[in-house]
Amino acid sequence: MTTKITIITGGLREPSSTRMLANRMEAAVRTQLTAAGSTVESSFVELRPLGHAIIDAMFSGFPAEPLEEAFGTVADADGVIAVTPAFNASFSGLFKSFFDVLPEETLSDMPVLMGATGGTERHSLVLEHALRPMFSYLHAIVSSRGVYAATDDFGSQSDGAVLRDRIDAAAADYARLVRGCGPHRRRDAFGEGAAAMEQLLGRDRP
Amino acid sequence: MTGMQFGIFTVGDVTPDPTTGSAPTEAERIRATVTVARKAEEVGLDVFATGEHHNPPFVPSSPTTLLGFIAAQTERIVLSTSTTLITTNDPVKIAEDFSVLQHLSGGRTDVMLGRGNTGPVYPWFGQDIRQAIPLTVEHYDLLRRLWREEVVDWEGKLRSPLQGFTLAPRPLDGIPPFVWHGSIRTPEVAELAAYYGDGFFANHIFWPASHTRKMVEMYRKRFAHYGHGTPESAVVGLGGQVFMRPNSQDAVREFRPYFDNAPVYGHGPSLEEFTSQTPLTVGSPQQVIDKTLGFREYAGDYQRQLFLLDHAGLPLKTVLEQLDLLGEEVVPVLRKEFAVGRSPEAPAAPTHRSLLRERDERDKRDAKNESG
Repeated sequence: MTTKITIITGGLREPSSTRMLANRMEAAVRTQLTAAGSTVESSFVELRPLGHAIIDAMFSGFPAEPLEEAFGTVADADGVIAVTPAFNASFSGLFKSFFDVLPEETLSDMPVLMGATGGTERHSLVLEHALRPMFSYLHAIVSSRGVYAATDDFGSQSDGAVLRDRIDAAAADYARLVRGCGPHRRRDAFGEGAAAMEQLLGRDRP
Repeated sequence: MTGMQFGIFTVGDVTPDPTTGSAPTEAERIRATVTVARKAEEVGLDVFATGEHHNPPFVPSSPTTLLGFIAAQTERIVLSTSTTLITTNDPVKIAEDFSVLQHLSGGRTDVMLGRGNTGPVYPWFGQDIRQAIPLTVEHYDLLRRLWREEVVDWEGKLRSPLQGFTLAPRPLDGIPPFVWHGSIRTPEVAELAAYYGDGFFANHIFWPASHTRKMVEMYRKRFAHYGHGTPESAVVGLGGQVFMRPNSQDAVREFRPYFDNAPVYGHGPSLEEFTSQTPLTVGSPQQVIDKTLGFREYAGDYQRQLFLLDHAGLPLKTVLEQLDLLGEEVVPVLRKEFAVGRSPEAPAAPTHRSLLRERDERDKRDAKNESG
């Protein structure tokens, strides 16, 4: 069975600690799913190159081609890993904006693994008070355990062993969730709208 | 001849000219709209359509008043809307207004229905925005019957019932105005148009070709599904948006401040991005011709092409120059080129005269069948 995982990563710098965390989360999830017999196909959606397109979509109401492609990559996934830097006690504005323009219902019933990076571990609850409510609102199925990584985690003497344990534990939970949910069906808002109209037109008619 | 119609549609916005900071008064804007419509006829265009808005900075809140005034000053051009709000206008009033306009204009009337995209309008007219789609369906069902049945008994969920109601005046020659359903991005509208075998207008000025293709394809397929004919025989209209100068660099230089500050897309994508992603063409008449001919590649052979010219604060003088270029250099070429290789199944754009002819032929056929 092929499992498609899309990783959305909102880091702004190069190299980006957010991307580094996203890479490690992807690798851990891949290991878990592969061990369980899945073939994993991963695609990364980096938000920085889409920054202008995201704001343009907000203003114009439609996505430019690269952004539309990114929407497709998310919609076609069986699971999403979403990683953001923590800014001012929340997700970054760019990260939020991406989900603000993502077509409605894209994340419905989508297993989501959350990740965030920040300067200090004092921000770690950003996963719970910012990311989880948004994904719940979007009707995603959010994995119980997310991964928060502070600068200290990347700099620790033990080569991030503690972080690695947290990533592995979160990946194990998430892999079970993805397998339990099975292949994700892409929503067709266009077809659903037309079908609803067809039903309405057909009602009360001879 | 292709039987294709070319025309313009106006939003009726009062927008300050970003190069001078001055805005026309409402009176000036309304007068300018009339001047633009008369000019459209003068340069040989087939259709003038006005939007309907009920809040500043827009002026066309009473489209049939405006169109009636234009009808009195024109001879040939078809008067239409873009769009008439089927949700918030009472269907009885729509039926009356357009019937009168038909009689006054000698049949130069059709109508494009839409849901509108301004939420607050609903309560202004006593309607519930949460019922937008059911209102569309119910109101349109009633409107059709008012135009087609002499005495209407009607009962729905969202409007008081009618008992023994007769529309006055009856539609001209007993032929209801042809109905287009306009949509920017709502598949429900394409489905509605297909269900009734009406025209479908994809207002694709803010929307990339890939989406317009999807909407038109779906409409054509469903048109056939509902038994109105082949997909190619469905009636399709498209929007477009152009700014021209003989030299394309001049067009870009002159239009850029208007684009950059336009209320609808200003401060978003660049002019270059927008022109590559949407039907907007800023350049020479030849570039407009090339891009417009390309619409056929994804919409098929279609019936009506409307351009948006008078918006974003462009001065009247400039708009009239645009109309000269459109009428003299663009539309004659489009008429000729669109005829080349046009599918024999693609119908001509419906007009009052063509609908009357079809009705008479049908009656003759029926009479013959009965007597034979």
